Amino acid sequence: MRTATQRKTAHTDTWHTLMKVISDAAAPGDHAKLPLILTSLPELPEQDFPGPPISFIHGPPGRNIALAIGLGAALPDTPLLLIMNADAVTLGMNHLIHAARRNMGMTLLILRSEVTDAVEKSVVKRTNWHSYGFQESIEKKATPLELATSLEASSVSRGSIDDVPQLTQLISAAMAKPGFSMIGITSENRLPRGILSHTDLPEYFESYRRWSASLRQSMRVSDQSANPQPIVDKQNLSPSSRNVPRHEIKIAGIGGQGVKLAGSILSDAAGNLAGLWTTQRGSYGSATRGGPSVVDVVAGSRRIGYPGADNPDVLVVLNENSLQQFADSVKPSGYLIVDSDQVTSVPAKSLAIPIIKIAVEFVGKPIAAGIVSLGCIAAVADFVSLEAIKEMVALKLPRKMVAKNIDALVAGYTVTRTTLMGE
Amino acid sequence: MAEFEVMYGNQAIAEGAIAAGCRFYAGYPITPSTEIAEILSDRLPEVGGVFVQMEDEIASMAAIIGASLGGLKSATATSGPGFSLMQENLGYAVGSEVPCVVINVQRVGPSTGLPTKAAQGDVMQARWGTHGDHPIIALSPGSVQDCFDLTVKAFNFAEKYRTPVIFLADALVSALQEKISVPHSSELDIYARPKPTESPEDYKAFAFTKGGVAPLATFGEGYRYHVTGLSHDEKGYPTEDSALVAQWWEHMHSKIEDNLDDILLYEEKQLDDAEIALIAYGGTSMAADHAVAIARQQGIKLGLLKLQTIWPFPEKRVKKLTENVNCIVVPELNFGQVRSEVERLSAGQAAVVGVNKADGNQITPAEILAEVTAQLRNTP
Repeated sequence: MRTATQRKTAHTDTWHTLMKVISDAAAPGDHAKLPLILTSLPELPEQDFPGPPISFIHGPPGRNIALAIGLGAALPDTPLLLIMNADAVTLGMNHLIHAARRNMGMTLLILRSEVTDAVEKSVVKRTNWHSYGFQESIEKKATPLELATSLEASSVSRGSIDDVPQLTQLISAAMAKPGFSMIGITSENRLPRGILSHTDLPEYFESYRRWSASLRQSMRVSDQSANPQPIVDKQNLSPSSRNVPRHEIKIAGIGGQGVKLAGSILSDAAGNLAGLWTTQRGSYGSATRGGPSVVDVVAGSRRIGYPGADNPDVLVVLNENSLQQFADSVKPSGYLIVDSDQVTSVPAKSLAIPIIKIAVEFVGKPIAAGIVSLGCIAAVADFVSLEAIKEMVALKLPRKMVAKNIDALVAGYTVTRTTLMGE
Repeated sequence: MAEFEVMYGNQAIAEGAIAAGCRFYAGYPITPSTEIAEILSDRLPEVGGVFVQMEDEIASMAAIIGASLGGLKSATATSGPGFSLMQENLGYAVGSEVPCVVINVQRVGPSTGLPTKAAQGDVMQARWGTHGDHPIIALSPGSVQDCFDLTVKAFNFAEKYRTPVIFLADALVSALQEKISVPHSSELDIYARPKPTESPEDYKAFAFTKGGVAPLATFGEGYRYHVTGLSHDEKGYPTEDSALVAQWWEHMHSKIEDNLDDILLYEEKQLDDAEIALIAYGGTSMAADHAVAIARQQGIKLGLLKLQTIWPFPEKRVKKLTENVNCIVVPELNFGQVRSEVERLSAGQAAVVGVNKADGNQITPAEILAEVTAQLRNTP
């Protein structure tokens, strides 16, 4: 076994040889085609490193592959050369796997690849940790070259620092080939050398650029031919000159009743069609169905500031818990609308409307309860019209759902008006 | 002319990023920030930019550093658990002076916590999450309008001062839908990355300028320089020379400290005659703003200092405020991370109390007013 000093000397020699190989491989004159070198090895070239202006990124150990992904996106013409030792294949193994499986363009040189890739054990002895022997006895090899092969990397090869012509050729070929390539560098002569595997799959960012260019092309084509109408006329969105005081609306129920969507429709109708300032704030749990779901909408002719409907002008409750929690917060002049089928007793001074029943009748599911609630709200509040809500329902729901939901909306409105008049 | 649009906070952040010139996004989805990634995955290819979903947040942070060194304005978005993972490479970006924007939409932590609920528990993590006594800029949006406007500012600061900027949003503003005014591109002040003017031989990518930074050359344009997380000289070569390291630190701190007039953003509301003041930021500032309006109707002389820049902390302005009012109330969705800064600056001048919550619920104007009223009763 070699001593630490012998290993260090061999390592430094390897580095100098590599720098020469890379300088030879670089194309002088075309700066964009020069490789950019990423490494976390402590060795860096001296300040007066001769030759073409090759820059170095001395990245955080194990993270150079992830850094190279950003560089690859930004610099399509610059070959990225990563010079790595064990940290690339242990600390940054996940980055290696993902870059290889996506075929992101970069070339990895793994120094002393026999440590991870060979007949010997895989653990790099970096410390005097006394139980190193145990770890060594149980761990399997990391085998990055085999891993890259199984992930269909662009090319996988092995070369030796003792055969400079072959190594130069392998590095030039790997840098010229699009996609993720890896070269194990070893002086262990029992291992096969040369190209071990290769594929011709498309490089990730090259494909991305082609795809997004065609996307932009088709956008330009459709801009010219279809001249699509904007969903809303932005000139009409400037805040209204009419004086509408702050209105607070709260709809409270459980997940699956369409509460959040209803809030968004109401806010869009008030903001986009009625020319008001609006906010819409939802509160829901991690589980989308069955947990409490509450939405606050605030609208008025002045900027809203605080988006909470802490003292609603209209409160719609769709279950008993919401009734208990919010009923007392309604403004004295406000309206409390209660789904009469969902609560144990309907409070005095409230409007009892069978909201979920109407939803099921018109749409077939309780999910339309939110839309029915909007009909109820339009019946008692005047800051936004039923027509504006209808228009927004038509814009925001899938086409085949629109008619049924508008029927449900109108039914909510009509039943509420009738109930109001009956009082 | 500005247009008016109803937007979600996350949407306004994404649109603000595009407007600011962001052309690279790498991230890993996490509630409540996911919509930012979703929207940018559509918007970036439309404007010739690149979106990539990474394997984790460590890689996301590394990738935006790489893309920024490659010349693209870059950002990532995450929430608490992902923000923790980003700290390693965030430190690298600080030390190697790489511009980038890191959006953290705060939720209740620690760990996976309450994924859908708002919190403001990462104020100190934004300041000190990565190790070393480093400078940082962190902005906190208090409305959907701020989500757009301050995102543009965040990119400008990142480029101007060659630093990561933390965009410390919270689920209160990110999931809020609000009508905002979106300035036309001609009305926006966008800071374009300058190119070096000196020859490649004379170029110092990390010049130890006091109060400023060197232009960052893009790789492949003929400038050779080294980037490293190690302490380095002006060309980027590692050094252990303590005199150089001291110069480097002076440069690092002065590029922020000498430009506080530009960096410190805050809004004042009815502070001129205030006897008691609120200091609020992020989503909580909306309730504070409403509390001031109600208090004034009741004849209480309450004012608000709304912080948009959280780090560096607006020490002078806060100190002055502690000299002019009897009491400062700091509502925040944590147990007093900004309050402790205010207490330090007050040094006994004004009483400093908090309204605190970290259970996933929001702070209401009524709760703030209750504390204000209690403090007024205590004041002789």
